[in-house]
Amino acid sequence: MLTFSDTWLPYIYLYVVGGFFFLVGMIIIRKSGAINLNKKRHRYWYRVLIFGYFYFALMHALLISWALYW
Amino acid sequence: METTAHNIEQTFHSIGSSTDWIVMVVYFLFVMFFGSYFGKYNRSTKDFFFGGRRFSWWLIAFSIVATGVGSHSFIKYSAKGFQYGLSSSMTYINDWFFIPFFLFGWLPIIVYTKIRSIPEYFEKRFSPSSRFLATVLILLYMIGYIGIGFLTLGKAAMPMLPQSFSLLGMQIHTSLMGVIIVIAVITGIYITFGGQTAVIFTDLLQGFILLFAGFLLFFLGISYIGGFDTFWHLLPTAWKLPLASFNKPPDFNFVGIFWEDGVAGSVGFLFMNMGLIMRFMATKSVDEGRKAAAFNILFMLPLSAIVVGNAGWLGKAISVAHPEIIPPSTSPDQIFVVVSNIVALPGVFGFIMAALSAALMSTVDTLINASAAIYINDIHRPVKQYFKKKSISQKENDKKELAAARYSSVIITALGVVAVLAFKGFPTVYEAHGYFHSTLTPPLVVAIFLGIFWKRFTPAAVMTTFIGGVALMLLGASHPGILIHPFDHGIHMNAHHPYSYIRALYNLVVCSAVGVSVTLANSKLEQFVKATIKSTSVAYILVGLSTLLFVLIASDFLPLWLLMVLAIILIVLVAIASSYLIDYDPEGQTTGLTVWSVQKAKEAFKGRKINDAEGEKVVVNWKKKDGEDGVINFSKNDMKKMAANVGDLVYISDKRKWLGGLKSIHSVYGEPHEEDGVVYLSNEDLLNGVFEDGKVLEAEKEM
Repeated sequence: MLTFSDTWLPYIYLYVVGGFFFLVGMIIIRKSGAINLNKKRHRYWYRVLIFGYFYFALMHALLISWALYW
Repeated sequence: METTAHNIEQTFHSIGSSTDWIVMVVYFLFVMFFGSYFGKYNRSTKDFFFGGRRFSWWLIAFSIVATGVGSHSFIKYSAKGFQYGLSSSMTYINDWFFIPFFLFGWLPIIVYTKIRSIPEYFEKRFSPSSRFLATVLILLYMIGYIGIGFLTLGKAAMPMLPQSFSLLGMQIHTSLMGVIIVIAVITGIYITFGGQTAVIFTDLLQGFILLFAGFLLFFLGISYIGGFDTFWHLLPTAWKLPLASFNKPPDFNFVGIFWEDGVAGSVGFLFMNMGLIMRFMATKSVDEGRKAAAFNILFMLPLSAIVVGNAGWLGKAISVAHPEIIPPSTSPDQIFVVVSNIVALPGVFGFIMAALSAALMSTVDTLINASAAIYINDIHRPVKQYFKKKSISQKENDKKELAAARYSSVIITALGVVAVLAFKGFPTVYEAHGYFHSTLTPPLVVAIFLGIFWKRFTPAAVMTTFIGGVALMLLGASHPGILIHPFDHGIHMNAHHPYSYIRALYNLVVCSAVGVSVTLANSKLEQFVKATIKSTSVAYILVGLSTLLFVLIASDFLPLWLLMVLAIILIVLVAIASSYLIDYDPEGQTTGLTVWSVQKAKEAFKGRKINDAEGEKVVVNWKKKDGEDGVINFSKNDMKKMAANVGDLVYISDKRKWLGGLKSIHSVYGEPHEEDGVVYLSNEDLLNGVFEDGKVLEAEKEM
């Protein structure tokens, strides 16, 4: 019998704790000026970075749902 | 098939036919020939190690597949796929969290500061002594990684070999170490004559072949089972989940592996793995490096997760439906070979095995090449400089260093074989690798990370992280039930291999705590040092005391509470001694070396102010000019199109895109001329770019 700790808890932990590191990274590169949103190319990369986080979060959510309900 | 005496796992021998062996030999000869062909593009150590910073992102992205897949190998992920299902893929899909730090922090820093190895960064950012400790730790890391690669290769080859064979009348028993030594000799020969360009191109070829072989196996397996629906419904629900159970079992749990692989492993792989970093440094620009990294993580790694793990998933499904074909007790590390042999025809099986072995060799080759780069940069050159050998020409020096790089490759290969001994006691390669990551990466990960992202992080703090952090890690390793237990998230401690993964969290916490505490106490520390230490000899006495304390802690024969007290005293002594002995310029040694001043690193790279004006690419024919003036000359109109000024940096390559930048150079814009569509190049430029007569070139302003 699968429990919460087998199914959604790892997912929540991954994207909350991992998300914390990701957020700190985004804040540091913005505050330090390493990514300069006045530059077109950097704006593109900023969007790619945010897209990547949700891309993986969605991928994992779909895979878990698929495993449980299909 | 046999059942080993010491456990109930079933192991296999002599799998495969003579057709498979012929296919494997032909494949290997082809790959070695392919690699050695590109050896001609090595004209200096810069080419040997970095491929001359010229390649397109797609070429590097695909060449990384073979490196990544090889290191996170078919064997270990198939093993966990067989034992626990689709969650074997989780380590391939958890690398994005640190990508902002890498793309906009570490990558531009290593490219723009022209750092050739990570230890060199430590010297520039901190001090020569921290470079020394970083060199030791990184070489241990790299050689350990090579050992894991050899162990995996050996385990892949064993099921295909007979238990024993006769040679010249002697009966020889096939042993794991014997197989590994033979593999190491083949690997060493290839890398010694190839170099980075050869590795990149061989990996490019193998990246495609690996993806093809992995998906071929998946499709063959699915049709063998009777279709995807049958496969899916044969798997128990727990096997279908993409993430492992939160904190059980001890040999494969989500939270332990998150800290071991998702945090320590991801940062280690992106920030410390010189093999991977050298690939990104081989791209023609930072932006191309970003594209290669992002594309790899977003698309290639999820595909690779299927490629490397599917044999285990198929094995589980077959073992549910037909336990007489694949017994559930089959040795997990052999499942890849067993499944491939069952679902593929003779010859196809040989091809799949060749692709697997070649991928592993790619990883090992890349690591050997990277370790040789560290040897040349961080041991050979500093030692030579110390003894102040007579000056020789750049060309002669390069030739000698290239020879030294080749010899060091051979020695590192041998050390990699020795490293296997440390890992062969683990039940699976996966656990050996997990333990390795958890143990060796944290001090370096913390030191690099804080060095790049925290300007205040000082040399005293980095030295204390290395020495005091490692001392606390040793205590954790000796007393896991007391020290690691508070971090275990409820994971049960396996007495034989305690906390293989979650120890990474304890190690990261103690190293970070030491580094952060010493940095925060820096001003008080400096005041104390000024007031109390009046001569260098006192500082050296503190170094001697610290060494003694470290040995006492490592030998672990005192009660834990006393060892903890000694560790704290050690941390204080190292911080005081380092603070006194190391000259540090907080402004000079952080400019361009932390994320807070990347723009300055870029300006220093160019040697003048950056020209950010957006220009176009131009297509030109080349003409040879006399002399070597270090610049190339375009027409006034072409320079205008590129929005370039004299002194800006230019990248020029053969226009054929499929070459991926193989024939290209970086140079500087010289004074313009009036002939539109023509570029004047020196003989040295033509040789370095390997440009061909009559072939059109494409030029673009770099910065």
